Amino acid sequence: MKRKCQDYESRLPDNTAVKQQQLPAFRLQLTASEILSGFFAIGLFCLGMGIILLLSAKSIKEVEGNVYLYYKLYGFYQNLYRYILSRSNIQLVGADVKDVRNCAPFRTSDNGLPIAPCGAIANSMFNDTIVLWYNFNSSTHIRVPMVRTETAWWTDKYVKFQNPAFQNLSSAFAGTAKPPNWPKPVYELDEKDPGNNGFINDDFIVWMRTAAFPNFKKLYRRLHRIGNFTEGLPAGSYSFIINYNFPVSRFQGQKAVVLSTLTWSGGSSLFLALAYLVTGAVTLLASFSMMALHLKLKERKTFFLQ
Amino acid sequence: MGWRQSLQGADVPMGRTIYLNEPLRNAFCENSISTAKYSMWSFLPRYLYLQFSKTANAFFLFITILQQIPDVSPTGKYTTLVPLLVILVISGIKEIVEDYKRHMADKLVNSKNTIVLRQNAWQMILWKEVNVGDIVKATNGQFLPADMVLISSSEPQATCFVATSNLDGETNLKIRQALSETATMKTEKQLSNLSGKIKCEEPNFHFNSFAGTLYLNEKSPISIGPDQVLLRGTQLKNTEWILGIVVYTGFETKFMQNAVKSPLKRSKVEKVTNMQILVLFLLLLVMSLVSCVGAIYWKDRYRAEPWYIGKSDYDYHSFGFDLLVFIILYHNLIPISLLVTLEIVKYIQALFINWDEDMHFKGSNVYAMARTSNLNEELGQVEYLFSDKTGTLTCNVMTFKKCSIAGITYGDLSSKSDDGAKGFSQSPCFISDTYEFNDPALLQNFENDHPTKEYIKEFLTLLCVCHTVVPEREGNNISYQASSPDEAALVKGAKKLGFVFTTRMPNSVTIEAMGEELTFEILNVLEFSSNRKRMSIIVRTPEGRLRLYCKGADSVIYERLSENSLFVEETLVHLENFAKEGLRTLCVAYIDLTEIEYEQWLVMYKKAITVVKDRMKTLEDCYDSIEKKFLLLGATAIEDRLQARVPETITSLLKANIKIWVLTGDKQETAINIAYSCKLLSGQMPRIQLNANSLEATQQVISQNCQDLGALLGKENDLALIIDGKTLKYALHVEVRKCFLNLALSCRTVLCCRLSPLQKAEIVDVVKKQVKAITLAIGDGANDVGMIQTAHVGVGISGNEGMLATNNSDYAIAQFSYLEKLLLVHGAWNYFRVTKCILYCFYKNVVLYIIELWFAIVNGFSGQIIFERWCISLYNVIFTSLPPFTLGIFERCCSQESLLRYPQLYRISQTGDIFNIKVLWIQCINAIVHSFILFWLPAKMLEHDMVLQSGYTTDYLFLGNFIYTYVVVTVCLKAGLETMSWNKFTHFAIWGSIMIWLGFFAVYSSLWPTVPVAPEMTGQGSMALVCPHFWLGFFIVPIVCLIQNVAWKSIRNTCHRTLLEEVREMESSGVQVLRRDSVQRSKVEEVNLQRSASPRPCHVIFRNNSVDLGAPHGYAFSQVERAVISQEELVRSYDTTKNKPQKTFSSATLE
Repeated sequence: MKRKCQDYESRLPDNTAVKQQQLPAFRLQLTASEILSGFFAIGLFCLGMGIILLLSAKSIKEVEGNVYLYYKLYGFYQNLYRYILSRSNIQLVGADVKDVRNCAPFRTSDNGLPIAPCGAIANSMFNDTIVLWYNFNSSTHIRVPMVRTETAWWTDKYVKFQNPAFQNLSSAFAGTAKPPNWPKPVYELDEKDPGNNGFINDDFIVWMRTAAFPNFKKLYRRLHRIGNFTEGLPAGSYSFIINYNFPVSRFQGQKAVVLSTLTWSGGSSLFLALAYLVTGAVTLLASFSMMALHLKLKERKTFFLQ
Repeated sequence: MGWRQSLQGADVPMGRTIYLNEPLRNAFCENSISTAKYSMWSFLPRYLYLQFSKTANAFFLFITILQQIPDVSPTGKYTTLVPLLVILVISGIKEIVEDYKRHMADKLVNSKNTIVLRQNAWQMILWKEVNVGDIVKATNGQFLPADMVLISSSEPQATCFVATSNLDGETNLKIRQALSETATMKTEKQLSNLSGKIKCEEPNFHFNSFAGTLYLNEKSPISIGPDQVLLRGTQLKNTEWILGIVVYTGFETKFMQNAVKSPLKRSKVEKVTNMQILVLFLLLLVMSLVSCVGAIYWKDRYRAEPWYIGKSDYDYHSFGFDLLVFIILYHNLIPISLLVTLEIVKYIQALFINWDEDMHFKGSNVYAMARTSNLNEELGQVEYLFSDKTGTLTCNVMTFKKCSIAGITYGDLSSKSDDGAKGFSQSPCFISDTYEFNDPALLQNFENDHPTKEYIKEFLTLLCVCHTVVPEREGNNISYQASSPDEAALVKGAKKLGFVFTTRMPNSVTIEAMGEELTFEILNVLEFSSNRKRMSIIVRTPEGRLRLYCKGADSVIYERLSENSLFVEETLVHLENFAKEGLRTLCVAYIDLTEIEYEQWLVMYKKAITVVKDRMKTLEDCYDSIEKKFLLLGATAIEDRLQARVPETITSLLKANIKIWVLTGDKQETAINIAYSCKLLSGQMPRIQLNANSLEATQQVISQNCQDLGALLGKENDLALIIDGKTLKYALHVEVRKCFLNLALSCRTVLCCRLSPLQKAEIVDVVKKQVKAITLAIGDGANDVGMIQTAHVGVGISGNEGMLATNNSDYAIAQFSYLEKLLLVHGAWNYFRVTKCILYCFYKNVVLYIIELWFAIVNGFSGQIIFERWCISLYNVIFTSLPPFTLGIFERCCSQESLLRYPQLYRISQTGDIFNIKVLWIQCINAIVHSFILFWLPAKMLEHDMVLQSGYTTDYLFLGNFIYTYVVVTVCLKAGLETMSWNKFTHFAIWGSIMIWLGFFAVYSSLWPTVPVAPEMTGQGSMALVCPHFWLGFFIVPIVCLIQNVAWKSIRNTCHRTLLEEVREMESSGVQVLRRDSVQRSKVEEVNLQRSASPRPCHVIFRNNSVDLGAPHGYAFSQVERAVISQEELVRSYDTTKNKPQKTFSSATLE
């Protein structure tokens, strides 16, 4: 445009590049060389990451170091809309122990007292007890020391879940009823550790974090690394003694117990490693085939640009 | 259509009585006009009505209401209401700003000044204060504020001239004459003593009709006709002042009656978008139904509700209830922010148009103005361009450009210097001298006693004498006043060559020929009429000889040449050359009469003027009898000056596959001339001329032409179709319409002449409806308002004083040539921007909300959401709101230089192939694939529940936040892929959006319980952001999603390279694009050549006489015809040697 060059001089100061749509811009041009090199780089990166993840997953020595005990439920839908809704966060934060508005259908007990903790989630809390025994030899069975605290997120334990402010817990929950399925009220969840009672009981908090899938694990205990178990669980024979309280057949489910250690990236799942490897491989494959296509069509292309 | 409705009620009998000097008895509408949409009070109800009549907004209102039903909404009660309110407020502010501007524009018109008689004295008041019955005084050059009846004027015989080009587009001035009974009323006293009444018809829209009666006290009633009426929108010319009584004001003026209420225009893209929203709504219903069925299946499998849910108090899970839950769950599939995003984007696009320095006309310091922002993208889809002629293509300035005298042509020099001058200035309209006749050879030949000297002298004398122009002397300057711009141009041209027309007296004219004063006695004026195509004048020369000078069309002059006439062949060649350049030609000739001949003729003439019946015909026969045996002197060529760069613009628009129709109120010859000069018509292009007087004849000639075209019918041929208004009336009859359109669409160029404003609108309407193509109408006058409003896009030429076209247009530009940039650059850019923005908005919403469906599969179709509810509603408002804006505002498919260089690129947006339902489906499928990956990859990653340090387990929302983060990243990067040119704002939008989400995520998950929101988010941020899986997925998930898009794009580019890609590649590879005469011939250039040559020469054999195959005739002449007083009477009424007595009066009254 010839005219424009002249116009530049006469432009007022406020005629900026923005107003004249002359902003400098990087043009996203998908040229063959850029695309191909990009694809190669991405492919190699993904392959590399995949290999690292794979190796680290393989490097796990079974049950050494920190060992975690999980229970796993199959076919239990913690992610149902009405189920997730049925809780009172105001009650759980200790602000108002009688706030049961959202807890239908477990709001009040038969005699009209508000349930604490109310709601379907709390009511359906997992209540089997699992004890791991180390069969040191045929006669000596050592109960593996397990910690029942610090299994919940820090924020849950100290922010989201708070007991009502009272001197002792039983009076704090006075005037409330226990959930119908529970054998004991909430302030008697952990008889041994008073600091792990009421709403801030770790087992309770873990249960209240509702899982995404119908098959899920929940952290139950951590190995207390003392005595024989300083380095983890020594090789040998173990047995579980499980107190069966939680009915799974009523929802056509199953339950299981899992012992696991963790790597830097979490559990020993290979999925992410595989995802990286497959992506890397497919990308490299794609870049090779695109290169082939490009070379084949190169003659035609130069014809265009002549 | 508004202009159809207004046809009714035309024949209302005398319905209005106006009492003179009794203002209290005249209660009619105000003179203020308003084009604004809202008033202070009507704003809220009207705005809400407009907003909720948009389907999408109504839908969201419906969802908001649904959400208020207890327990039905999985996303809370206010999550739709809040974004909806935000959006309504934002677009409300935009509406207010836009309407405010309209109020201001109206105010500008309403507060122009005029002078009226109030309390026996002249007062300066505003236009809006003018009332019916007021006596208004207007001075030369002023626009008239209302329709009024002329009382008296400064000119002899109480005449005045008005320029009506604003109303009907005609170039010549119109004469109006006051009634002789009122012609003497000129002083305040006389006027204020005036008493009586005027009865006239009710307001209507017919420009050329008026029926009224003046009842002056103690006098018999006098009838008032259109010749006494001065209309609002016309401009007083060549008349010092006039006085008039206002009869119609404001909306009741004929000018405003012709203006119909601005229709609400919606762009094609908007219509397609509405369709697409409907498609999404169907998708939403399908998804909801599928989920309902899934829920039934799930419940069936588990027989009843699992025990852990407990028994509900009442049965929630009826089918209908489930359906509502799912509709609310998925409703965000329809992008709530789309409409407001588009409004803001288009508003800014409109600002870009307003700011564009390339469309800034320095001559009058006028910028382009987008008066609406709804149609920005429509500018990229125009297929038919309807252009007015006068004032749009031309400047409405005539200049004497060339001539041929005695077989020698003069004036070619000036055309050579044209280019330089044009490059320097954007508009030639304001420069006079450089463009006028400038050829020293003529004077040299005259002075150096060239053999043709006598002819030159005679030629120039003729130009000075044979006309109806009136000179006006002010000091030593002589200015000319003419009702015919052609004559004015000729007289001015002669003056420049030393033949100055100085004085007109009732019976003679005086000229100064090279300093020598000559007086010609005028014996007779043989008037011009478009039938005769010539005017002659019989004079007695200073030497005492009788001579007849004649100027007229080549066809009529050549018929009447005597055998002795010389230079016939040469002049004919010159005429043809002039015509090819689009100049308006006239042939000039003379004949010496003998006294006897004249005496005999005079007897005949005197008889003829007394004939009552068919006087016109008798007179013409009489004139004809003396106009014979002419001796040819030569020919003149007048340029009806085009606006700057009109031919270039038209060539460029034609290359962009835009068909150009010229619709004018002006004469056929003039239109053809202009079509030649702006390269719409070329030398040997066959011209089909349709001029018929009846429906049958029209039908017959059209079908004949259709038959001749045969197989070529419906294709674009190198043909021109020329039709006049009368024939068009028949051609648009229901039976003929289809045939006519077929014929018209087969021609490359269509010229419609002598159209009324309504016909202009009608033809646009017909094409719009039948062809289903996007139409654009451009014009400058009130007569173009109809078509400007009817067309999909209306463009007004601004800068002229009449603002009506501008005020009714969608876009106003100062010059026709700016259309090139408006369409090819802004239109194409905006189309790409808007469509990309829309598709992207659809994409991002589908991606996020289909995930709810995947999640429903694992949660037993219970209606649970996977994300936090406010995150969902803020998705469109905050986290992904910026990329659509940068796409919509800053995206550039390629540089403006390329768009202007390769108008073919316009076809991409014109065809609309990149935005239709199919494209939407592809985009939706792409989005569904992405959402599938975005859900299932993280789901599988987190399935084993052991991703956190210390063995902590996670919950559904943890997965949700993973997915949400990946969605934001993927969607932002996808915007990056769609963006062809990244500027700093793009970077900010893309990287900024991701950062904003991450920041928000961290903050939002630590609010509870201090701030009572989102308890379920507590701790999510601190857990997720330190989780290695989160960051591992952060890279892999978007890569997996987007790599397929990149691969697909690059494969398509490699295999099938589009023109756009080609151009973009050339741009990024450097300078070639800027070199116009590049030796390399790229594909682009080849396409360029092919397309420009595409309409092959037409090889049709026409078997009817409506087709003109020969060389063009350049004849064109505008002159008043059949006016109140004849031209002869008019010229005889002037005596320019006398001073006008009224001058003192006018200056005194202004105090």
